Amino acid sequence: MKDDAAHWGEGVCVDPGGLKGHDGYMNREDESAAGATMAERNEDTDNHRVSTTFRDVGMLATVFNNLPVAVFCKDASNDFRIILWNKKNAEITGISAEEALGKTDYDLFIKETADFFRNIDKVVLSNGKLLDVPEEKMDSPNMGKIYLHTIKVPIVDPERGLKLILGICEDITEKKKAQEQLRELGENLSEKEKQLLKLNENLSHANEELKATQLQLIQAEKMESVGRLAAGVAHEVKNPLALLLMGVEYLSDGLDHGDPHVPQVLIEMREAVDRADNIIRGLVDFSSSRQLDLKATELNSFVQNALLLVRHELTRSNIKVVKHLGSDIPKVMIDKAKMEQVLVNLFINAIHAMEGHEGGKLEVRTSAKNLKRGETSHDEGSRSGHQMRSGDRVVTIEILDTGTGIPDDKIEKIFDPFYTSKPTGIGTGLGLTVVKKIVELHNGSLEIQNRQAKGVRATLTFKACDES
Amino acid sequence: MLVDDEEGFTNLLRMNLEKTGLFEVGVENEADSAVDAIRAFKPDVLLLDVVMPGVDGGDIVAQLRTDPELKNLPIIMLTALISREELSPDAVAESENLIMLSKPVNMEMLLKVIEASLGKKA
Ligand SMILES: Nc1ncnc2c1ncn2[C@@H]1O[C@H](COP(=O)(O)OP(=O)(O)OP(=O)(O)O)[C@@H](O)[C@H]1O
Ligand SMILES: [Mg+2]
Repeated sequence: MKDDAAHWGEGVCVDPGGLKGHDGYMNREDESAAGATMAERNEDTDNHRVSTTFRDVGMLATVFNNLPVAVFCKDASNDFRIILWNKKNAEITGISAEEALGKTDYDLFIKETADFFRNIDKVVLSNGKLLDVPEEKMDSPNMGKIYLHTIKVPIVDPERGLKLILGICEDITEKKKAQEQLRELGENLSEKEKQLLKLNENLSHANEELKATQLQLIQAEKMESVGRLAAGVAHEVKNPLALLLMGVEYLSDGLDHGDPHVPQVLIEMREAVDRADNIIRGLVDFSSSRQLDLKATELNSFVQNALLLVRHELTRSNIKVVKHLGSDIPKVMIDKAKMEQVLVNLFINAIHAMEGHEGGKLEVRTSAKNLKRGETSHDEGSRSGHQMRSGDRVVTIEILDTGTGIPDDKIEKIFDPFYTSKPTGIGTGLGLTVVKKIVELHNGSLEIQNRQAKGVRATLTFKACDES
Repeated sequence: MLVDDEEGFTNLLRMNLEKTGLFEVGVENEADSAVDAIRAFKPDVLLLDVVMPGVDGGDIVAQLRTDPELKNLPIIMLTALISREELSPDAVAESENLIMLSKPVNMEMLLKVIEASLGKKA
């Protein structure tokens, strides 16, 4: 019997006292262990209550203790005291049978957990049928948080005066944790995915920027090599030009050629030499990073002077000039000679575009304003950085023509060295390349757009002088 | 006197100068023999091309400046390059009586410069 009792003791699970409706408390200090007591009692009085198929209570206890699920039983007629607590249950909850037997949930768990269990127990009793609780959370004093899947069965036998709750539970903590982790992982993943998408976006953005930069670099490289070429070519071209000019000088000087056109021809030849010389100077300027000779300059008179330089071309092509020169325009720091080159180039381009059409009109406007946000120039190819910022006082020169305009597919190319739509001998395609370079050296901006109606609008913008 | 390797240019320049009736013009087209020719001709003013094959115009100036007789010869350098920066700076710095002109140059300007140089010398 002692053996049996000891056997019980391993996983003591039955509190016969509870079954009998007596107080059922086990003496914690009693080292003989509850099981022994119970076994004796079972033998004495309650043997008949356990299924008769089992040879004895010990056998039944062994079966209970070896069940792979946790089993417990509470006596509803005695304050839901625990009267059965198998080994698996002790494993899962970390509460031994000795600790559990004879106690109520309120002795073992925090109030919320106990309330929760008690409510379910009551529901199960009043419903009188099995209840499946897929997920119960339990704060075990020894194991921390655990999750259980529990099935509760009411056992009501008025004949024997039984009113019990039988519980069978499975520890789903691991499963739950795995699920949780999976969910977290999923969340993490979708977060990661979002990050990835973002990253991808950034990447493609960076890629675009890279492409743009590359284009600029290619452009810049082109410019530089053109520059080197220009310096070499300049030398070779200037000698024949010098010779040509000497020839023109010789012929110009008081000789009577008998042909009335000769003087005019000679003048034009001289002008041609001058122009060629200017272009070459511009080209070499453009290639070398020589200092600009900056002087505070009054813009309107400067523009008017530049117009004078092309008066022949204007009258020859029968082009009307309209000037809208703003008042109170602050001075600008410019290199007069170079900026003159810029304006003359733009004027000549406009004149060329209007040649052969009657009623050409060249409009020149000057104005001053404060640069608004977002208006700062973003010239591609400009490597000098944008010196003009929103809020800056700037002056603007607009040159508008009523010429042919620029085909949309060509507008990207007009600043390219040697891009020209003009026949050889008329256009070198270097005009705007040099113009742009000079403007950039001044930290200004140049925009060339087709006008809505007809022709082209060239807009030059420079930062105004601080004083004045 | 004119020293330039471009014969067409020196010919036309000589014609233009002679037409004024003011000058006696000597021409040398070989850079190598330029210094000797200058010594022989003893010009009042020298028009010198800066970059010629063989000898640098700057070198010629340097050689002339070591010659006591030619030390103060006014020199007008004609250059197809754009500015002083591109010349060997030593030669330029050490020489007074040296004027740079960028090609192409017109006669009006050239005559002014020549007169100024001669006036200085006188
Ligand atoms: N105002 C304009 N109207 C129409 N087309 C223009 C205008 N300005 C420029 N273009 C176009 O841009 C091209 C390039 O101009 P750019 O000034 O660089 O060279 P170009 O005028 O052809 O030759 P040049 O070296 O003699 O100036 C022109 O050939 C022309 O097709
Ligand atoms: Mg042009």
